[in-house]
Amino acid sequence: MTKPGLQLHRGLMLCASIALLFASFIYAIYAANLLAFPYDYDQGEGFELHDTTLLSQFRLPYLDTETYPFYSSNYPPLYHILAAPFVWLFGPAYWYGRLLGFAASLLIAVSIAFAVYRDGHQNRWIALLAGLAFLSSNFVYHIGPLFRQNIMMVAFETVAIVLLARAFPRGDKRGITLALFCLLCAGYTKQMAAITALAAIGWMFLRGPRRALLYTAGFGLAGGLVFLWLDLASGGQWWRQAIVANVNDFLYDQAVGLFRLWFGLHGFLLVPAALMTLVELYADRLSIYSFWFLAAALLGGAAAGTWGAGDSYLVTSIAAACILSGIFFSRLLANAWGPSRILQVLPLARLASLSLLLVPLLYLGYARATLKMPTGGAFAPLAELLGVERNVAFHTRPDAPDFYDSAGWLAGGYARIGYLLTEADHAAGDQIVTYIQQTDKPVLSEDAGFSIVAERDVVTNPTQLRNLYLAGQFAGDELARMIEHQEFGLIILRAQFFPPHILEAMGQAYIHKETIFMNGFDYLLLFPRPGYEPRETA
Amino acid sequence: MVILGWQRFTASVAEIILPSMNGQDEGITKRQLGMILLLGGIIGFGLILAVDIIDVGREGGIGPAQTWALLAMALAALVGLSLLPLGDAPA
Repeated sequence: MTKPGLQLHRGLMLCASIALLFASFIYAIYAANLLAFPYDYDQGEGFELHDTTLLSQFRLPYLDTETYPFYSSNYPPLYHILAAPFVWLFGPAYWYGRLLGFAASLLIAVSIAFAVYRDGHQNRWIALLAGLAFLSSNFVYHIGPLFRQNIMMVAFETVAIVLLARAFPRGDKRGITLALFCLLCAGYTKQMAAITALAAIGWMFLRGPRRALLYTAGFGLAGGLVFLWLDLASGGQWWRQAIVANVNDFLYDQAVGLFRLWFGLHGFLLVPAALMTLVELYADRLSIYSFWFLAAALLGGAAAGTWGAGDSYLVTSIAAACILSGIFFSRLLANAWGPSRILQVLPLARLASLSLLLVPLLYLGYARATLKMPTGGAFAPLAELLGVERNVAFHTRPDAPDFYDSAGWLAGGYARIGYLLTEADHAAGDQIVTYIQQTDKPVLSEDAGFSIVAERDVVTNPTQLRNLYLAGQFAGDELARMIEHQEFGLIILRAQFFPPHILEAMGQAYIHKETIFMNGFDYLLLFPRPGYEPRETA
Repeated sequence: MVILGWQRFTASVAEIILPSMNGQDEGITKRQLGMILLLGGIIGFGLILAVDIIDVGREGGIGPAQTWALLAMALAALVGLSLLPLGDAPA
């Protein structure tokens, strides 16, 4: 490559770095915006906060949903345990859970950069871009700074895989044990980590079958003992609430929609990652990253099609793709391939020269494909320069926020997140809390945040009741009776995920009087219907 | 021919599971991986088809998700087949 060619390469690399740093800057703004919001942004955050509060009191959140307060968690406890010390210090609040999620995403980016530097060809610049590419993903952006456990699971998974990649081939027992411990932590953060565990075990089996069997036995035993303890300590509720209730319907259109979105946004890195997998399959040894990438993309993608799932289910595959594509680019640039008859057929030296321009262009293309940014205020001139305009729209209100998200608005699921919250959202949340404070009776809210701020009991977890009901594990007689007898002073609905007979009882005994719009959703406030005579319940 | 193929396969499985003579845990070869994928793909394909046969009450035949699963199994078998000529190279 000539000197001007190298200069062009550096110029393009600089442009790609700036573009991806800008994505991280927007991500940080979004995280800071969410940290200040004291209510649910993504439905379910409040329940995770409640799980954290229960665990901070040394109580398991896997409870009998047939008795008041009809609440149970459906997630493993580790993320909530990590957040529990914050409850002791600051009381129940959203900011620390969101901060933990944001910090976890940064840890993943650092781990990716480290893996690319170590296992690629020690190209610092590509390692940096690979780490930034993870933070630039729309899917990571959406869920990173939430009080949800998914990103923490991916952090444990990534650390485990990066550790295992080096420790297992070297027979480093301490490293392998630490990696498997991280995998166990991932599994007890969220059940989806089973896919990564499967990939890790499969790869170990490939590299050393006998050792793999031994380590898998130990890993299985440790995981099984924790599982057994949770089930015994919760009187069998762990199995019912966290396992049985998590088997949901598969929605084909949702799975295909999310796969398309995943590829459309991340294709600039997914294709190089797939090429690296092919190189390893036919011309080198398969790395753990390839195994992980294939398992997370195929199985994680399929799982994304289940009811209640979403783009977050593909975040693990994005971490794997960032590592694999980074290693691919590093080796391409350095022309550092293993001896292989298959690869010798290719004009590798010319490809290395070409990649000096191609690699930064791919990262630039990726930065553009995953672009999301505010389009108003100080960002308006830049948005105009980049040719993007607001594409976020609420389905019930015309006053949509000034925000552009290349992921579009309907990502196959029901979650609509990513834009910045305003003072109006804060005020709307405060208004709902004021309504709660006006009654002395318990309040049934579909988002737990309002009840938590008002220092009231968190009553029910609607998605959990729905899932249990569909699995034949929830009758809801007592809840229906309480609704019939108007024992709740107020009912707050958002997505109306309750089982049909519960919703029907609400419709009979309560009357919808007020709608409050907050973070893109209409919250329906239902008050006891005057003069209502309770019906006999089963 | 079939018997010879089966003997080769069982020998490959034995190589994986049993300790090798020098006590090293060598890892499996491209050919062994190819056999695992080929067999897994064929068995998986058969099992997915069998869902319709076993679950007689089910209506609608092969659905879109099942079609994708069948394609994935067929692809796994083909990849397995393509790995067989790579012989004893480590997978």
